[in-house]
Parts: sequence; structure tokens; C-alpha cells
Amino acid sequence: MQRSLLRLTSPRRRSLFLFVMAAPAALHVAVFALYPILRGVGFSLFQMNLMQPWLHRFICLRNYTDALADPEIRHSLIVTLIFTLGCVTAELVLGFCLALLLWPDSRFNRVATTLMLVPITVTPIVVGLIFRALLDPSFGLIGYWLVHAHLAPPQGLLGDTRTALPTMMVVDVWEWTPLVALILLAALKALPSDVLDAAEIDGADHVRRLRLIILPMMLPALFLVLVLRVTDVFRTYDIVFAATAGGPADSTNLLMLSAVKQGLLFFDIGYGSAISILMTLCIVLMAAVIMLTLRRMDRRFNES
Amino acid sequence: MKRRPLLAAGLATAATLGFSRRGWSQTKPFDGMTLRLASVNDQYSPGLKALAARFHQETGIAVVVDILGYGELQTKVTTDYVGHTKGYDLATTDNVWAPQFAEAGYTVPLNDWMTRDAAEMKLDDIYPVLFTALGNYKGKQVAFPLAGYANVLAYRKDLYKSANLQPPATMQALVANAYTLTDKAHNQYGWVANGQKGAACAQDWMQYLAEVGGVLVANGQPTLNTPLNIQSLTTYRDLFQKAAPPGAVNWDWDGREASFRSGLAANMQTWSVGALGYFDPKQSKVTETAGLMVTPTADGMKPRYGIGGWGIAINADIDDRHKDAAWTFIKWITSPEIHIALNQLDACSFLRRSELHDPGLNRKYPFLSVIDESFTHGDADFRPRVPQYPEIQDILGTAVNSALVGAMTPAAALAAAQTQALRYF
Repeated sequence: MQRSLLRLTSPRRRSLFLFVMAAPAALHVAVFALYPILRGVGFSLFQMNLMQPWLHRFICLRNYTDALADPEIRHSLIVTLIFTLGCVTAELVLGFCLALLLWPDSRFNRVATTLMLVPITVTPIVVGLIFRALLDPSFGLIGYWLVHAHLAPPQGLLGDTRTALPTMMVVDVWEWTPLVALILLAALKALPSDVLDAAEIDGADHVRRLRLIILPMMLPALFLVLVLRVTDVFRTYDIVFAATAGGPADSTNLLMLSAVKQGLLFFDIGYGSAISILMTLCIVLMAAVIMLTLRRMDRRFNES
Repeated sequence: MKRRPLLAAGLATAATLGFSRRGWSQTKPFDGMTLRLASVNDQYSPGLKALAARFHQETGIAVVVDILGYGELQTKVTTDYVGHTKGYDLATTDNVWAPQFAEAGYTVPLNDWMTRDAAEMKLDDIYPVLFTALGNYKGKQVAFPLAGYANVLAYRKDLYKSANLQPPATMQALVANAYTLTDKAHNQYGWVANGQKGAACAQDWMQYLAEVGGVLVANGQPTLNTPLNIQSLTTYRDLFQKAAPPGAVNWDWDGREASFRSGLAANMQTWSVGALGYFDPKQSKVTETAGLMVTPTADGMKPRYGIGGWGIAINADIDDRHKDAAWTFIKWITSPEIHIALNQLDACSFLRRSELHDPGLNRKYPFLSVIDESFTHGDADFRPRVPQYPEIQDILGTAVNSALVGAMTPAAALAAAQTQALRYF
């Protein structure tokens, strides 16, 4: 065995080594990601309610057509897209501003960076419960005063169909902007200082350096942040479930709430899986759009 | 020489142990067995856990009690049944799950055992409505009553007195009183109920609807948008908008209870299981002024007191020996003596006439006559006991909340709900 390995040429040995090193990760992905997705695809092709096992049967794409025709799912999709777009945009802009502010190395910035981790460490469901309590117009430390100052509707920010979704977006932004800022800060710190120094010597002001040097070099980090956050926000469940349960009316009824309801409340595994697979496709589509857009931007920057 | 006495002593000990072991196993046929019980996290669960040790002592059966949240319990138990994984031998079962479990055959029908052991278990001491409400579906008893709750009206005696009002005898009087007792300038509200989208608001409205004579399923078909139901939801919405504390449209059970215990709301329909807390200074600011009474119904209607609570069911997948042991536990925990002991541990969950008349429990719970009256004239069907209940509850959860927050008119909300509900029948 050892001899046969020794007989291998150097590139082949290297390939084998890389294969062996990557195998555990590949196996992990196959077992814990790919297999469940494929099972989900399988379930989604069946009429499969766990409470009615005698009615299980193959129905091809019927769950998908039903989901796409279901007004609740369509409404939830729109709410989820608005929620995702709003949250990711705000987190990206605020996170980038925070990262720029924290870029210079100082004791204050180091302390601030550490403190920024606090919201990320709180479990999302607890965040939902905390904000629900804080914003309650009868008992909440913030909500009570907001209503009395006429800055919130009488039923509170989470009790009004016009304000509930924007409020949930603010909560999500509060929790996850620090993560975005930290990733972007790491990317800023990794920028080659000689390029930045050269631009400064050449007389480029802050805005030009940001637009022409910093942003183009940060495209990989931006891609990472965007894909991470879009994937995460699109699948949001806990915060909204704890704070509003999808209400008032259907104003915060995200797609994930509908999928979980179908799967774990009605035990309609077929329909719930179809919604989940549709969500996965949406995420893949959005990730592809982000990737293509950033690649195009990268080319444009390189050409200019 | 020295070995003989030692040997004799050893043999004597072995014989003694052997005999006693045989005697032990005769009285404890399931000695050494372990049962796993999934229990919802409710007022009675700590008592259940505490009494499991006593059961172990008496029978040799160890009962491992897993206390889970409502949703977690439902998911875990159902997937256990569906996957035939035998993770739990016993599970506390919400009354609204019984129809689904019965149809799917996930839990053991207890009828034969109950007939066999009726005298021993003193079944006629248990309120008949609890058998129906807590686990019976079309005659099949798929869960045995464990914790009966009555829907009661909690009200503020002091506010009624200062407004020269009598506790409401009818639902019309309750609505009128709620408006009279609302004084927004002094942060006082006449009414509170669950308003949050989903199970919370659906369940509270169903209770209110039943008390004015509304029906949600008739002849196997949904009847969500009848004129009476629309009228009921309109009155309910008005109560929320004019007599409920701000934010009530986003409250579930916790918010609703907090508003009564803090003195914010004057009237609240609620489950009796939480009533002990109103008289506990650690949890309540209205210990001296809270009163409990049976829920009113519409003028001229027969009493229709909502009954809820939990049954306890045996997993149909486990082997016969475990099923017998599980039935032994059910008999034990629901026996008169042990159920009183459970209530001495603050369970506030009742089953038997004898325990509602027990002097010790009456001292601890000064409102047992209200529960007795509610159980005697209880209504097991104020929430439709049909397999489609989860779907109906969810649909109504959105419809009722939409009406409460003004996103839809009650008529439009219930019409949309009816259209959706028809898909499941």
C-alpha cells in the first residue's frame, strides 16, 4: 500500500491528499445538506399529511402549483421579499458605515467592536420576545412612551398593519448589522495599505478612494455578506414568530412561517416541503443575481 | 470451621432476598420498568414530575417525565407516532388533537380497560363532560382525562362595586359592563382577551362565539360566516377597539393574564388553571379584589361553559407489557387520592367531584364551586372536535385578528375564512 502510494507522481499525490482532506467536509455536506434537500424534493412530490397516512400518494408537481396559486403563499412571498430587501440593504449600508468608522485602530474602536458583538449573541427568539415586551403599548418601556408621545399608533408599533413590518425590519437590522460590520471591517483591515497610500499621495480624496479603490477591492467581502444575509433573512422565522406570530392580519407573515405551519402544525409534509423547496430556489436565484451583478461590477472596475 | 457459619449466613441472606424479591415482584409486576412520559409545560407538570417518584416507590415503575412547550410536545409526539419510534410511552394530549390521533390510530383506545376497571377507578366520580372533552372521538377514548379546565370569568369585584354593577348574568350584560368600566383617562379597561394572530385569538373568540350561540362546524361542514358569527365578531372587534388595553391585539395568554393581574383590565374570560395566581401576591396585584364566576351566555341561552384541558394517552406502538404499565400509571395518577395530591402541588387541574368537594382543596382554592358548576354544565364542543381543527383554528386565527386590527371587516374576514376552510372538508 505504502509502496503503491510512493509510486504515485507528485501531482497525483497532491490530488489524493486534497481529496482525502476534502472528503470529510464533502461527506458532511452530502449527509446533512444534500440528503435532506433531496428527501424534501421527494416529499414535495407526494400528497403526504402525517395525520392521514392512508391518503399518501404521488401527485407530481401538484404541491408546487397549489403553492404558487395559494393567495397566502403569494402574499407571504411578497412580504418576505420586502423584508429581505429592506433588511439586507439597511444592514449593508449601516454595516459598511460602521466598519469605516471602526477602521482606524484605536482603543475606543477595539472596545466598540467587542461591544458590537452583543446583539449577535442573543438568540433570535429571545430578541423577538424582548422587542415585543419593550414595544408593548401598555407595559413596554419604549412602547408606552411612544404611544403617549403620539409617535406610534394606539395599538403599538407591532399591533398596527402599517408599522409592524418596518418595525420587525428595524429589529432584524439591530441584531445583524454588527455581523455585517465585522465582516466588512475584517475586509477593510486586509486591504493593501500601499495601494491606499499611493492613492492618497496621488491626491485622491476620501470619496474617490472609497469609490475607486476601496469598494472594488471589497467586492468579494460584499459578495459574502450579501449572500449570507440574503439567505438568512429570507429564512427568518424566530424573531417574527416570537414578536408578532405573523400578524397583525398577514402583515408580517413571512414565507418561513407558512412553511413551518404546514409542516409542524398541520403535518402536511408534502406541501410544507414544496414551500421550502420554492424558498431554496428563490435563495439560489437571488444568490445568482448577486454573483452576476458583482462580477459585472468587478469587470467594469477592472476595465476602468 | 470458620467457613460454615459464613456459608450458612450467605445462603440465609440469599434465600431471604430471593423470597422477598419474589414477594416484591408479585405486588409489583412491572418492577424495574421505565416509562417515558411527554408532558406539556403547564400548571400540573411539576406536580406530575414530583409524584413520579412516589409512583416508582409504590410500583417499581420509573416514570421519566419530559416537560415540553406546547408546540414542541405536539411535534415530538406526532413524529414519534408517525415514525413508530416508540420514544414515549405516554403523552399528555390536548383535547383538540384527539380526533386526529383517533383517526390515525396513533394512541391506544382505552374503552375496554375503562370498562374493566370502572369500579376500581371510581369512574362515576369523574365529570362525564371531561371524558368527552379530553380524549373522546366518536366513542373511542384515545386519551384519559388528566387535567380538566373550565372557562371562567375573572372580574374585579371592587370596580363592579364602585360602578354599582352586578356581575354579569348574560353576555349582553358583560359587554355593557365592559364599556361602563372602561376609563381610558385612568388607564382602566373593561375587557381583555387574546388578540394575537393565530391560536391565541382564534381560541378566545371561539369561546366568546359559543357563549352567544355561534357554531363553526355543522353537519360535517364549516359554517364560519353565518350572520350570527359575523355579528359576534363585530361585537368582539368593538370590544377590542373600545374597551381593551392598547396592544391587546398582539397579546397571547401571557399578555392577557398580565393585564388582569396588574389591574389593567376589569373582565377576562380565561381557563381556571391559572386562577390560583390571581390570589397569589407574588403574581398579582388584585389578590383582594379578583372574583371568579361562571362565564355568562347570551340572554335566554342555556349555560354553555367551555371545557378544556389535557388527557393522557398511551402510544399505540409500544409493546403490550409497556401498555399495561402505562395504564397502571394512568389509573394511579387519576385516582382520587393521588389527584388530590397533585392538586396540593398547585396543579389547579381537576377531574373528580370528590376533589372539588375536598375540604383541604377548598381551603387552597377558594373557587372550586365555580369549577364544579362549569364541569356540571360544561360544553366539550365549543371548539369543533373534528380532525380539521388545526386548519380551522389557523384560518380563524388570521380572520379574527384581521378584523380586530381593522384590516378587514368581520364579514369579509369570515367569508374569506369560510372559502379557505372548505378546502379541508
